[in-house]
Amino acid sequence: MKKNSLCGFAVLALIVAGSAIGAEKLHIEGSTTVGPIADGFAEVFKDMYPDVTITVNKSGSGTGAAALIDGRCDIATMSRFMKDQEFKDAVARGAFPVAHVVAMDGVCVVVHPSNPVNALTSGQVRDIYLGKIRSWKEVGGPDIPMVVISRDTESGTYDTFDSFIMKKQKMASSVEYVTSNPQAFARVKNTPGAIGYVGYGFVQTGIKAITLDGVKPSIQTIMSGKYPVSRPLFMFTNGYPELGSMTHKFVTFHLTERGQEVVEDKGFVAVTSY
Amino acid sequence: MNGNNAEQTVRNAAGFQQPLVLTVGQDIRGFLFKHLGRLALFALTVTSVLAVFLIFLFVILEAFPFLGKFSIVEFLTGTAWYPEAHGTPEFGVLALIVGSVYVTAAALVFSVPIGVLSAIFLSEIVSFRIRNIVKPIIEILAAIPSVAYGFFAVLVLAPWLQKYLGFTSGTNALNASLLLSIMALPTIISVAEDSLSATGRELREASYGLGATRFETTFKVVIPAAHSGIIAAIVLGMMRAIGETMVVWMASGNASQIPHPWWNLSQSVRTMTATIAGEMGETVKGSDHYRALFAIGLLLLLMTLLLNLVSEYFLTRAKKSLGKS
Amino acid sequence: MKSRYRTIFDKIFTVTTGLAVLLLVVVLFVILGPMLLRGFSAVLFKGTVEFRKMQLAEFGHGDPEQVRVESERADAVRANVYELIDNFKSGVDIEQLTDRAKEIYRNYGNELRLRELPREQYTALRSLSREIRNRLTDAFSSNSIEQIREHIEYVLQFEDDERFVNTTASGFFQLARQYQKAAAATDLDKRQEYAVELAELEDIITELLGPSPTEDSPALAQFRYGATRWDQAQKLLHRLRWKERWVEPSGKGNLNAESGVSLVRQEFSRKEQFDGTELEPLFGYIEENIDRMLEPKTTFYWRYFLDDSTPGHYFGGIGPEILGTLLLTLLSMIFVVPFGVISAAYLTECTKEGPIIRIIRMCVNTLAGVPSIVFGLFGVAFFVIFLIPLFGGPSQPCILAGSMTLAVLTLPVMIRSSEEAIRTVPRTYKEASLALGASGFRTFMTVTLPAALPGILTGVILSLSRVAGETAPILFTAGITVGPVPDSIFQKTRTLSYGSWDMAVGDKLSAQVPHNQFGMVVALILLILILNALAVFMRSRVFKRLKGQ
Repeated sequence: MKKNSLCGFAVLALIVAGSAIGAEKLHIEGSTTVGPIADGFAEVFKDMYPDVTITVNKSGSGTGAAALIDGRCDIATMSRFMKDQEFKDAVARGAFPVAHVVAMDGVCVVVHPSNPVNALTSGQVRDIYLGKIRSWKEVGGPDIPMVVISRDTESGTYDTFDSFIMKKQKMASSVEYVTSNPQAFARVKNTPGAIGYVGYGFVQTGIKAITLDGVKPSIQTIMSGKYPVSRPLFMFTNGYPELGSMTHKFVTFHLTERGQEVVEDKGFVAVTSY
Repeated sequence: MNGNNAEQTVRNAAGFQQPLVLTVGQDIRGFLFKHLGRLALFALTVTSVLAVFLIFLFVILEAFPFLGKFSIVEFLTGTAWYPEAHGTPEFGVLALIVGSVYVTAAALVFSVPIGVLSAIFLSEIVSFRIRNIVKPIIEILAAIPSVAYGFFAVLVLAPWLQKYLGFTSGTNALNASLLLSIMALPTIISVAEDSLSATGRELREASYGLGATRFETTFKVVIPAAHSGIIAAIVLGMMRAIGETMVVWMASGNASQIPHPWWNLSQSVRTMTATIAGEMGETVKGSDHYRALFAIGLLLLLMTLLLNLVSEYFLTRAKKSLGKS
Repeated sequence: MKSRYRTIFDKIFTVTTGLAVLLLVVVLFVILGPMLLRGFSAVLFKGTVEFRKMQLAEFGHGDPEQVRVESERADAVRANVYELIDNFKSGVDIEQLTDRAKEIYRNYGNELRLRELPREQYTALRSLSREIRNRLTDAFSSNSIEQIREHIEYVLQFEDDERFVNTTASGFFQLARQYQKAAAATDLDKRQEYAVELAELEDIITELLGPSPTEDSPALAQFRYGATRWDQAQKLLHRLRWKERWVEPSGKGNLNAESGVSLVRQEFSRKEQFDGTELEPLFGYIEENIDRMLEPKTTFYWRYFLDDSTPGHYFGGIGPEILGTLLLTLLSMIFVVPFGVISAAYLTECTKEGPIIRIIRMCVNTLAGVPSIVFGLFGVAFFVIFLIPLFGGPSQPCILAGSMTLAVLTLPVMIRSSEEAIRTVPRTYKEASLALGASGFRTFMTVTLPAALPGILTGVILSLSRVAGETAPILFTAGITVGPVPDSIFQKTRTLSYGSWDMAVGDKLSAQVPHNQFGMVVALILLILILNALAVFMRSRVFKRLKGQ
């Protein structure tokens, strides 16, 4: 009797699985930073092409790359360029990743708004993350111990920060790790002694972005590359998508006016300007 | 005549129209049916054994390439956890192990006194009726999912800690261990209460008969008699705390450092479970980092297995000692 | 003497144990209280007309006619706000004015090209219109009232020129008149400052009332509506009234000093910034008419438990999460119940204690002690990477993998509770059946199992509640935070537990919608508490029945 129910279930599962094939699907996987852009695009696409299902999964740039290489997703959103190992893996499996730059982002060093410190040099920021500077007093602030917050080591944001600011030196063990940009935002917002770094889109009321090496992060400075820690955000596809296909429409959507609006609404800097 | 009639009725009722004699075929069939059926049942029952076996097997399989590539001693004694450092990744889990043990120990400091006292209250002091009211409340504490505790830790408790206790950071070892202690309490209370209630009435009556107060009876007679069960309760609570993921991930701050000074609970620590939860989703499948996370999983598995054996030992001892008294 | 101390000590001890239990009860209330309170506001709140508009447009709920009437009524009151802003803006927003002048010039140029004019007339008109444009833009960027007057007068002398009447160039004069009026009413030196403040103000008003009716509908649903809830509107109103600034505690308001002192938060009136301008009446108007602009009504949003949500749970409910949780848990029950019950039956009925049984029991206990995150690892390594692809399925996290992982996780709970249920069936039942000649198997199927069924069901419900709350095992095996409702068991799903985690730490928008944050976690807690209450109720009934007989 139990067996019958199991068999019955298996059949049911197959039917359910079978019915799923048909409607056009787009699966997007990857970075938590680029994820919101993909979310926004998906939301607009839902109105424009109602019969297309788009899934956006935000699990990290590394996961996105792996999923694209395995063929488990159509588009990998990544906040860093693919690493050479990932390219090798891809080519070994017959996948040819093509990068589409959909937006620009600056990684901003942020502090609590009550912090009187407005400017730091990247050397100072590095020393803070190396644990050499431990109190705000040493950089002209009040005598409060620093709470140093970093993103987890797998995220693209970390990667960017690591190569631009840390110059690949290892952070001190007292650095706290958070798993997402919003969490970093929330921690800095609620902690007077905190210093953290987030994508430009997460700089909003409640935290203060610091002038780095004399450049204040803004749309202009990030787009022109003047701000020392700015980076392009990518969507990767396997080969250039067939023209007119849904994947193609999706990775070129940022070039349309509507797409730019979404990019800006999500707090990033659009790559085109008109 | 009456007796005969009655026997007939019983036979009819039981459906025995013919004498209970089986043919050879029926006999063999019955035999086979019984034993094959048993075998089938046994096979299904062994699933749990199989599951444990498979868990070990697959976790070891995924972790093995890592353990072959890196030194186990360095893995266990290194304090630097930089799995993604460019060029020279370091996989030292000592800070993570210390983090796990640290929050667990702190949680036990809070939960053991409260748990044992509550168990005493339930088994020694109040009537059956009040116990029936209080126990479901404790069960609710056990039923609330860990993610809800974590949610509370991040969004409610952390701001409170910063606001009222003046901590620089609300997500720290104290926050995590407070919630872990709440989660471990129901286990501790129920196991401890069971073992306290199981001590014989005679022991207590003898003690009261000698003029001892309730406090003296409890601490000098009942607890010594039930100590194995109480230790088992603590070990089980410890297991619950050390294996907990969501709460520590959300509440502990996740800095992979060894707390210094050791008594300062306002520091942020990172546990083994939180490391797996936080990094597994992001890491590249098959990379050293991925394997290292499985190695941490294996370590966790071995630790809980050890604790499990300890708790079994104490539980059987508790059973035996109570059986004797 | 000594005995008195002993008695006192004993009393203190008794009280202490009582306090420990009391502490537990207090803790329970402290944890559940704030969460439940805030969570309920996801369902019961004062909804504004924006909420009803959103419900109609995004989810198709509500009476279209009534919503239309309401929003027209509200729009009539709001019109004044937009008018005030537009008027003020025309004197302040240099960039926008310049853009408009350039646009008119461009359009007029196109118009000229299409009219077949003699060459020199075309050139003359073209250069005249360029001159007008330049004068206008100069006037816009000038801070001197004389200069502005000079430029505007120059432009307006052509107003009645027959060459410009009824052409697009008449836009120039409209612009000039408008600007003339606005410039007279505005402090020109402060325009730059006003422009920044105005942009901020406009953002708040957009958040409060939704995008202005003349704008295109924003691409993202999140920006299409104003404040949907009255409490949200109150907060925005506060922001509208007060501007936040971080200043030195001495109160000098020096923003750029690095003096090593923590800054303190200060609020100052926005209205004062616009003192003496055309915009000043705006603040009073909004404050007085806010309820007419938003029409708050007490709303019981029961569809919260059914509706899908926009990304980030900004609007909408938790329907897909509940569905996903049910799918995962019920599917895992299908896997675990047969194994659990049969194992329990075997352990209680078929064998005597022996080494094999001891090993099995030890394994069950070990399984119960394995940390849930390790189940997650196991799920990835075994189900996702090994087992499902072995049967030709996709090697990716999915509902099937997640529910099987959860089934393994809850196997010990199931075995233990079924064992207990089977054990509580009185011996006499079995003996009676066996004495009547029924086989062991038959006895079990027809006597023991039915009698133990309520107990087993209790176990099932308890396992259900355990599984529904688990997060760590499904992190890598089945869960996503954003995605469509799954249409096969080979897809990932959203769940209440994973969603609660995401709302607490992962999502950017969720901090802006605390009611949805807490709503999600409260739904999870309630689901589990209801399941537990059900289990307790059933257990007590079984207990009574067995005692009664």
